[in-house]
Amino acid sequence: MPTTLRIALLAGLLALLSNLAVIGFIYGRTHDEAVASLHRQVVEQSKVLTDVYRTGGKASLDEAIDDTLAYADPQTAVGLLDPSGRELKGNLAEAPSPQSMQEGYRSAVIRLRGQPSPHQAEIVLSKLPSGEWLISGRLVGEGLAFRATLERSLLLALVVAGLLGLLCGVILAHYVARRIGNIAAVANRITARDLSQRVPLSGAGDSFDRLGMQINAMLDRISGLMEELRLLTDSLAHDLRSPASRLRAAAHAAAEATDPAEQEELLGSVVRNADALIRILSTILEISRSEALTGRKQFAWFDVSELAAELAEMYDPVADERGASLRFDRPSRPVPLFGHRQLLAQALSNLIENAIRYGSAGGEIDVLVRPGDKQIRVEVADRGPGIPLDRREEALRRFGRLDSSRSDEGAGLGLALAQSIAHLHEGELLLNDNQPGLVTTLRLPVHPPQRAR
Amino acid sequence: MGRKILLVEDDRETASYLAKGLTQEGHSVEQATNGQDGLFRATDGSFDLIILDRMLPVLDGISVLRALRAAHIETPVLILSALGSVGDRIEGLECGSDDYLVKPFSFAELLARVNALLRRREARVGPADHRLTVGDLEIDPLSRTVKRAGKKLELKPREYLLLEYFARNEGRVVTRTMLLEQVWDYHFDPGTNVIDVHVSRLRRKLDEGFEKPLLHTVRGAGYMLAA
Repeated sequence: MPTTLRIALLAGLLALLSNLAVIGFIYGRTHDEAVASLHRQVVEQSKVLTDVYRTGGKASLDEAIDDTLAYADPQTAVGLLDPSGRELKGNLAEAPSPQSMQEGYRSAVIRLRGQPSPHQAEIVLSKLPSGEWLISGRLVGEGLAFRATLERSLLLALVVAGLLGLLCGVILAHYVARRIGNIAAVANRITARDLSQRVPLSGAGDSFDRLGMQINAMLDRISGLMEELRLLTDSLAHDLRSPASRLRAAAHAAAEATDPAEQEELLGSVVRNADALIRILSTILEISRSEALTGRKQFAWFDVSELAAELAEMYDPVADERGASLRFDRPSRPVPLFGHRQLLAQALSNLIENAIRYGSAGGEIDVLVRPGDKQIRVEVADRGPGIPLDRREEALRRFGRLDSSRSDEGAGLGLALAQSIAHLHEGELLLNDNQPGLVTTLRLPVHPPQRAR
Repeated sequence: MGRKILLVEDDRETASYLAKGLTQEGHSVEQATNGQDGLFRATDGSFDLIILDRMLPVLDGISVLRALRAAHIETPVLILSALGSVGDRIEGLECGSDDYLVKPFSFAELLARVNALLRRREARVGPADHRLTVGDLEIDPLSRTVKRAGKKLELKPREYLLLEYFARNEGRVVTRTMLLEQVWDYHFDPGTNVIDVHVSRLRRKLDEGFEKPLLHTVRGAGYMLAA
């Protein structure tokens, strides 16, 4: 069944149901009202007659019954019966025998004189002190005759309401289908060829516009990712090219070489270049794995300052060899953090290696751990040339190595990996000016919020 | 002395290359090409070492390992895997493997690890003499003191751990990755020559002024401590 028809039917059904509720309510109320009014009339009439008897005796009652019958409407039923049940006065052709009855208000079946069939009636039975029975009441059927008219009108109203609801449903469904159709058409064009298409907005700021805006935002993000992916594959291909062609050249030369010493050296170069290729590929894999949140289940509490101390000690001799001094002032107290110790060790070592590789000329490299209630900052500051403001974003991209003439094995992936590890911890990697030099900061929440997976 | 090694690897080329190399080293190698067969052979517990590929047909390596450990078969297991991220390595180790080697690897790296694992098993079973000696080098793990030719060497804590690890693998090749994993407990590949720098510092303290060097570089593989 097409959605448009379903929406129309649903709207019609809803209109019908709500109207049914209103009509049911009206019907119930009028019915109750009619019954109550009948009851009042019956009790009133009986009270008048017994009062007349009490004050004026039998003669006055006879007179009153005559009056009642003379002026009353055709639904009125009155009868005075002797103790054996024979009618002395009144308009009852058939009445229940008093023996089987008790005093009080009740329903009964009565036939009036001059009428062909008995009717349902509400009556009051009173036993007079002289032993006679007074029956006084009204026929129900005739009394509630207007109910039939009411029921017919209500039924008609119900049908009209149902039809109107269905009509509204059709109009609504058309409207929704048209608005959704616009969005679907854009989606179609995007699927077909053109990612630059955007959903047109009506400007009304309604739900459809909000949906459109969200789809547009999603499309922006997808285009961004596509662009990033394109850049990534381009630079991956480019960066894999150089070690691959060096490897090929070395392998070729080794095959041709006659001197064993030369051959051995060339084979060593083959292995080194193969290793460089493998390292680039593993780091790329590592980045995508950590971005896919695979490491979350290995999160645990650990002391960040202890980790930083260990890495500072580990890299101190490396910095020393390059003529720089690596310093770490360990905070007096432990700095606990809930995270992936191994991955953060890798992130921090990338930052330290980066500082050693590009900032050693400045002489001093400082590692700092700044504890906080909510977040911890781990900083690596060098006094090297730094990165100009407008090129920092580029530095964080995969293969974003700024000096492309450099041929060492850095491959520009270190900062990108550190950033993706920071993201895994719901934190971020910041690059700032050290005036002069570069400060790289891992800003990490002490306990990352549990993200729904 | 040859040992019994079970090799569970579905890639025939890799398997035959490894089996050939290990056999040349004097070990006897039995092969299985899927996880179920591997688990079946491993359950008799007669092997000295199991080399287990992580991605196997029928039953993957991690499941085989879990089943073995659940059955209280404590044969050392070396996992081979193309899944080389830090998270994958930790997961492999936490499942009860004794070592984890990422593909592609050199045969020298594999051999070094195989020997270290076999050696560890031997040490676990053999009598415990807590003093370690390599030539005129004497190491006391309890007091963490090191003497060479009777003269005390001043080592930093990490240098001591490095030397102790070398001494426990005396006469065997130890690779850079093994040092990073075993001495520092890090499971990533550093981008610098950080391990070499530490080893050369240790070597300066250990061998400088002595005629016969103890700490040797093994080209294309790593290092070895030997008298």
